[in-house]
Amino acid sequence: MKFLPFVFKNLFRKKTRSLLTLGSILLPFFVICLLGTFVAMLDADPSKGRGMFRIAVRHKVSFTNPLPASHLEKIRQLPGVKAAMPFNWFGGRYVDFSAFHVFQRFAIDPVVFFDIFDASAIAEGSAEAWRSDRSGLLVGELLIRKYGWRLGQQITLVGDIWPGVYAFTIRAVYRGNDEASVFFDQKVIDEALPARAGRYTMIWVKAVDAAATRDLIPRINVLFENSSSPVRAETEKEFQNNYVALLGNVKLFFRSLTAVLAAVVLLIAANTMAMATRERVTELAVLRAIGFPRGTIFGLLLGESALLAIFGAAAGLALYLLLFPKLRAVVLYSPLAGLASGLRVYPDVLAAAFLLTVLVGILAGLVPAIRSVRRPIADGLRSVA
Amino acid sequence: MSAISPGTPGTPGTPLIRIDSLVKQYTRDTQVLTVLDNLSLTVDEGDFMALMGPSGSGKTTLLNLIAGIDRPTSGRIVVGEKEVSSMSEAALAKWRSANIGFIFQLYNLVPVLTAFENVELPLLLTNLNRARRRKQAELALSVVGLTDRMDHYPRQLSGGQEQRVAIARAIATDPKLLVADEPTGDLDSRNGEEILVLMERLNSEFKKTIVMVTHDPKAASRAHRLVHLDKGVLKEDVKAERGKAVGMAAAISVSST
Repeated sequence: MKFLPFVFKNLFRKKTRSLLTLGSILLPFFVICLLGTFVAMLDADPSKGRGMFRIAVRHKVSFTNPLPASHLEKIRQLPGVKAAMPFNWFGGRYVDFSAFHVFQRFAIDPVVFFDIFDASAIAEGSAEAWRSDRSGLLVGELLIRKYGWRLGQQITLVGDIWPGVYAFTIRAVYRGNDEASVFFDQKVIDEALPARAGRYTMIWVKAVDAAATRDLIPRINVLFENSSSPVRAETEKEFQNNYVALLGNVKLFFRSLTAVLAAVVLLIAANTMAMATRERVTELAVLRAIGFPRGTIFGLLLGESALLAIFGAAAGLALYLLLFPKLRAVVLYSPLAGLASGLRVYPDVLAAAFLLTVLVGILAGLVPAIRSVRRPIADGLRSVA
Repeated sequence: MSAISPGTPGTPGTPLIRIDSLVKQYTRDTQVLTVLDNLSLTVDEGDFMALMGPSGSGKTTLLNLIAGIDRPTSGRIVVGEKEVSSMSEAALAKWRSANIGFIFQLYNLVPVLTAFENVELPLLLTNLNRARRRKQAELALSVVGLTDRMDHYPRQLSGGQEQRVAIARAIATDPKLLVADEPTGDLDSRNGEEILVLMERLNSEFKKTIVMVTHDPKAASRAHRLVHLDKGVLKEDVKAERGKAVGMAAAISVSST
């Protein structure tokens, strides 16, 4: 510890260079945190490993091929099924097509909705009020805040997949994993468009337990194998992963980007340390001449490199925490609003990013430190004269 | 480690440095360059020895070998009880920190540290606590007359003051032997004179054995003994009395050119 002030003073002997290096570490660190947060968000498991016992059932070919209502009835009869409901992507528009007004709208069965999505809870109003009003709307808490809506307010949606003008009244507000969607009764569109009644984008199934979940998936697939609408049943997690995979291998892309950024930090810190030791060849030789052992010099140089990385990462962390609420707000007010509820500070991601940056910082100091302690003292002293 | 204090005279004729058949060669490509050629020399405790000779005569190489920062090709160097020519790198570092004080031509202070912190540097390698280190560094700075400049950085000091801080750093651990490589080489005559007076005082009052490399006859004249090297060979080894040394040093200096 008695060498720490010495390390600090050396670190800031060229203030401009040190500050620029800190900036060069800070920014990649910030982006690493951001990428890590997105990956963590995609990997997030709200059940914390217990499993939600939810099964997503969709047409084997594509989402665009609807499933018939008879499938829902057959699934409800299967042993191990706690509840099942239709799930229709409504699309449409609210006010206009601007990004600000984009959010997800679904037609579902209000009677069993909270049995299936049991992690969600009513935050305002009541489930009963929503269920008892055919045009009742269940709204995510984020949307309430975003648009300043209140209970009892009328919301008009204009359909495109399901043509027509639909007026809804906000009857309840929910809080849960995705707080940026609205839900209404499937019967609304069934009655408005009777010719298309009983067609579902997909069916959500809640199994009684984990064993039933495992058992039901192949049974549902087999049950409709030879029907006109064969299905693909999968766990909620598989469903989400496949959905994300539509964007390509996002996680691999983000992780590759993280590796590139770590390499950038490594090169910047290594360059700074190489410059710092090169201009101090004589000074380091003098220290060794007056008795500083090789190990101590090595430790001092590595300490400098590590401190540089620690300061850069700490500044990046502070910036990240400072800007995160604004970033979340930006996502909330964008068409990606559905992601905003899963977008939170993941302490393990930040800790891993911090550790990675510090390790890279230490690594960056390794080669200059080894070269410095291996140079003969007499050569180092001579380089001045 | 003892506190810096006026020392007791060493036993006259007690050798502190014994150099026996010392050879130092460098290899450049296929060419072998002999810098020191079968050199034998003894330096007694309390000696103030000036090493003179033309450039390339091996003065600095000999100084580095005595101080244990370079290795001989063959031969022995014993300083005190230790054969430095056969010690390990780690043992040498520890030995140097306790037994050798270095004074360089360009002072070689650490620019980001204050005068006090520069003097404290070698003390960081000891087991002294913060308070003892502070006391010892202040004492060293008081010996060189710079207690009022403790908090100044090297860039805020004159060349002479910087060299005095370097001398304070050299004596901070109270070593027996001071090795100085052209200590006045970068100073004007007034500051050079001040440094020489200080070195004389360290030798006479604090009983430091001093080996000093110099080209300057005036600096050499302060020494009690003049050793003249030429092409790695000991050409002259003269014990000089004060007053006569000036002429002898000048003569060696002239013969070196």
